[in-house]
Amino acid sequence: MSKNRITIVAVLVASLAAATGAYAAKVVEEIQIEGMVSPASPKALTAALEEKLAVKVLGYEFYGTENGWPILKVEFDSGAVSKDQIEKVIDSTKDPSGTSFRVHRGQVKIHLPLLEEETKADGVFAAESPDIGQLTNPIPASADSHTRGQELYVKFCSKCHGMNGNGAGPSAHGFSTDPRQLWSWYQADKSADPYLFWFITNGRSDMPPWGVILSENQRWDLVNYIKTLAPPTN
Amino acid sequence: MAEKIKPPRMKLKRRIKQNEIFKVKVRFDHPSFTGLGMVDENEELFNRAIPSTFIRNMLVYYDDELVSRFRTSSAIADNPLFTFKLKAVKEAPVKIVFIDDQGERWETSKDVKFRT
Ligand code: HEC
Repeated sequence: MSKNRITIVAVLVASLAAATGAYAAKVVEEIQIEGMVSPASPKALTAALEEKLAVKVLGYEFYGTENGWPILKVEFDSGAVSKDQIEKVIDSTKDPSGTSFRVHRGQVKIHLPLLEEETKADGVFAAESPDIGQLTNPIPASADSHTRGQELYVKFCSKCHGMNGNGAGPSAHGFSTDPRQLWSWYQADKSADPYLFWFITNGRSDMPPWGVILSENQRWDLVNYIKTLAPPTN
Repeated sequence: MAEKIKPPRMKLKRRIKQNEIFKVKVRFDHPSFTGLGMVDENEELFNRAIPSTFIRNMLVYYDDELVSRFRTSSAIADNPLFTFKLKAVKEAPVKIVFIDDQGERWETSKDVKFRT
């Protein structure tokens, strides 16, 4: 559904509410959803919710959400319907393929920590420390470099590392290693550049080797850009 | 889901000559899914759909010594067959441990016995 359509629906609902007073205690809730497996999924969930409860599905957000899980935006009259009821309907509805929808409540971890046994094995079979070399970043961290870096980042990196570098992009799922939180490099000094350039170039585990795709200058622009990704303030 | 997963199965020769290089075959049926779905065909982007599940490590012990590790990802099959070789340096158990991405663990073990 396009953004425009969502806005129009919202405006219509608002004016209807003003005219009739039907949505006196109108609230909008955002609910994280598991089970969005195919294009038929959002349609099925919307139909179930609107059929069973007096709610209005405003839309879904699939990409760029805070922790990577899709978000359902739903509007309802809190006097007539409770969030609890909505969640119950979600939890008892199935996608046409048979996959159950679930409210994502945060306790299903994407990656649990390694067992002690695995950490030990990592120690035994650890890769030798890489030869990063002494490189100097030839691209000044200018506004131009930032713009180029941002464009590349959104296109190639945000799927895994998240728009803001939180490591929870929509595709960051089912990996054997989590994408790192890139904001840990916020305002790092020049001494971090060779490592970042080396890592971006060569990749590791689920991190692709961008050296085969992006030019050297593009990779340096990304190094400059990563260092501007600020951690959240709260 | 997890309760339906049966332990791995392992095969090796019943009698092995001392210092012989012998084959170990391990089969483990464990669901394998990236957890990703594609809801918006126009965008051709994957979104998180359901929790992922896959084998993340296979550890090989010979006489309780860790001799090999196989790191795997969500690209693994849901019925992988691993074949590898070991040298029969002693009569001792070979133990295989599987750990999935949720940190669940399974193991199986067989003794290496020398042919006299
Ligand atoms: C397919 C998912 C994926 C994509 C796309 C991706 N990364 Fe990564 N990235 C990872 C993973 C996973 C790791 C952790 C790898 C490891 O430690 O084994 C990582 C690690 C890194 C690190 C190391 C950070 C640290 O703290 O050590 C940097 C730097 C990095 N990525 C930059 C980038 C840039 C720049 C792009 C875009 C050009 C990008 N990544 C695209 C998955 C991805």
